[in-house]
Amino acid sequence: MTSHEGPGITRRSLLAGAAGGLALALTGGRLPSPAEAAEPGADDQTADQPLITHVARPLDAETPCQVFTQYLTPNDRFFVRSHFGPPALESVAPSVWRLSVAGLVERPLSLSLNDLSTFDEITVTAVVQCSGNGRAFHSPKAPGVQWEQGAVGNANWTGVRLRDVLQRAGLKAQARHLQLQGADRPVVASVPLFTRSIPLKKALHPDTILAMRMNGAPLPLLHGGPLRLITPGWMADSCVKWLTDLTLQEEEAGGYYMQTAYRYPSRPVKPGEVIAPQDLKPVEAMVVKSVIAFPQQGAILSPGAIMVQGVAWTGEGRIVTVEVSTDDGKTWEQARLVGDEAPYAWRQWRFLWRTRGSGRRAILCRATDDRGQVQPMASPWNPGGFLWNGWDHVQVQVRET
Amino acid sequence: MRTRWGQRAGRLFLLPIILLGPTWLATGRADAQPADQQAQRLLASRCSVCHSTDLIQQQRLPRDRWEATVDKMAHWGAQLDKEEAALLTDFLATYFHPEAGPVVVLPAASPPVQADQESGTTPAPGWAAARGAALYKQNCLPCHGEAGSGGVGPKLARNPILTQADRFRTTVSQGRGAMPPWGAMLRPQEIADIHAWLNTLRD
Repeated sequence: MTSHEGPGITRRSLLAGAAGGLALALTGGRLPSPAEAAEPGADDQTADQPLITHVARPLDAETPCQVFTQYLTPNDRFFVRSHFGPPALESVAPSVWRLSVAGLVERPLSLSLNDLSTFDEITVTAVVQCSGNGRAFHSPKAPGVQWEQGAVGNANWTGVRLRDVLQRAGLKAQARHLQLQGADRPVVASVPLFTRSIPLKKALHPDTILAMRMNGAPLPLLHGGPLRLITPGWMADSCVKWLTDLTLQEEEAGGYYMQTAYRYPSRPVKPGEVIAPQDLKPVEAMVVKSVIAFPQQGAILSPGAIMVQGVAWTGEGRIVTVEVSTDDGKTWEQARLVGDEAPYAWRQWRFLWRTRGSGRRAILCRATDDRGQVQPMASPWNPGGFLWNGWDHVQVQVRET
Repeated sequence: MRTRWGQRAGRLFLLPIILLGPTWLATGRADAQPADQQAQRLLASRCSVCHSTDLIQQQRLPRDRWEATVDKMAHWGAQLDKEEAALLTDFLATYFHPEAGPVVVLPAASPPVQADQESGTTPAPGWAAARGAALYKQNCLPCHGEAGSGGVGPKLARNPILTQADRFRTTVSQGRGAMPPWGAMLRPQEIADIHAWLNTLRD
């Protein structure tokens, strides 16, 4: 961020105020009371911002880490990311909105929200995470929004099984991929649309859902309302928002956002290296990861017992251990896994840290899943800066207060 | 396109646009060279049609990635002719390079300050140039002379290298000919500050 400001107001606060207010309006959230706004937590200026804005337009904003002390991330504090911003409200109004199912199907469908509500309802608790979450930690820097820890959240997603809708249309034998298109449009028509696809196997998985509600409320516009795809265990580039068009086809979707962006090298690469297209595959499943929600970066703590808290999640497996180090990674101790365990949700963890002496301390955490994936100190560099899952760490000050 | 943009902007994003335009343009401290000023005008008028410029400010990319990015944007419809694209790439590669620190201070997009006729220098308009003056005295003056007038090393006041901020930075940090590399002594921001100060010099 730049530093030249008028007296008494920072650019970040200006933007965060404007964009944060916008986020609240569109996520159906509440405004923080003046008392809340006046009490920044610890040394972290972002503590009471609903979201930390990286890009004001189209809005890209992440969740402050301390929100992750809650199992479910509230809608108004859930990260926001899209390439073009939400579509015009009138284009997604329930009266006009339709979901088209076409391509390699026996019976093309055009479904209203009412039509969709006739399918069996299902709720999945799932982590949704931007593929670029943690991009800011890759070195050298990768182009894109410089997300830190908070382009992730855990929510209850309610809707209908995608499988049920596809089966009503009837799939033709050649169908291999499901193309996804939302109602969002670029400002300039020559910019490619955000068109994505998922393999049919993921589309037919019983936990893949067309979500209409988020944490019990109608899906807010900023989170893809009235309808978005949720692909539990997979990164959010598949969780297309403002979904209007499902097309069954033999091949992956064409276009920039499927064939160029959101691809990850299938072998280790060096920065600047030219990678052949066949060595790049779509970003799909999440990797094992944990973050620290408490204490916050820069916190000043009294010596004694500190309850370190955080969350851990992985793609299609389950979290088996979370470890914490308070000596820069020399030794690790197991944290306690607490709270609910659900297949695609994150797991909360706690670690009782008895401080010794005073001064600056770093707290590190790493998670391991049941498939043997261990969160590495740093993730492999890749041109898109995707799938960061390096050890999380916060720096704190221990001193008598 | 304009009409549609106008409708969308009015509906959802008008406030951030109003706030962003002036804050971006007012971010700098030192005087901008005409090329820097033009680049900032392009950012405000062409790039921010589709996205606010905070997206650009958070990038730290080498020149080839900036070239590829500007090229992609032009291909996608950003209104940039070849000259403008080159100028913009230069600006982006100069200020938002991988070694730039977390905060990049841009030169102000304002007309250059007139030189003080007597001393040949102008009072530094902001802390970047003021700090540059002090850094120059400490590190460069022995070879390049008082007020950039030259000595063992070439005269720097109004030296053409000042119009190429990227080349200036590389030359200082990596050295050239008899000049030793200063990369270990001066951080990129300090080199930029010296550059800002040298730009205030006239003869």
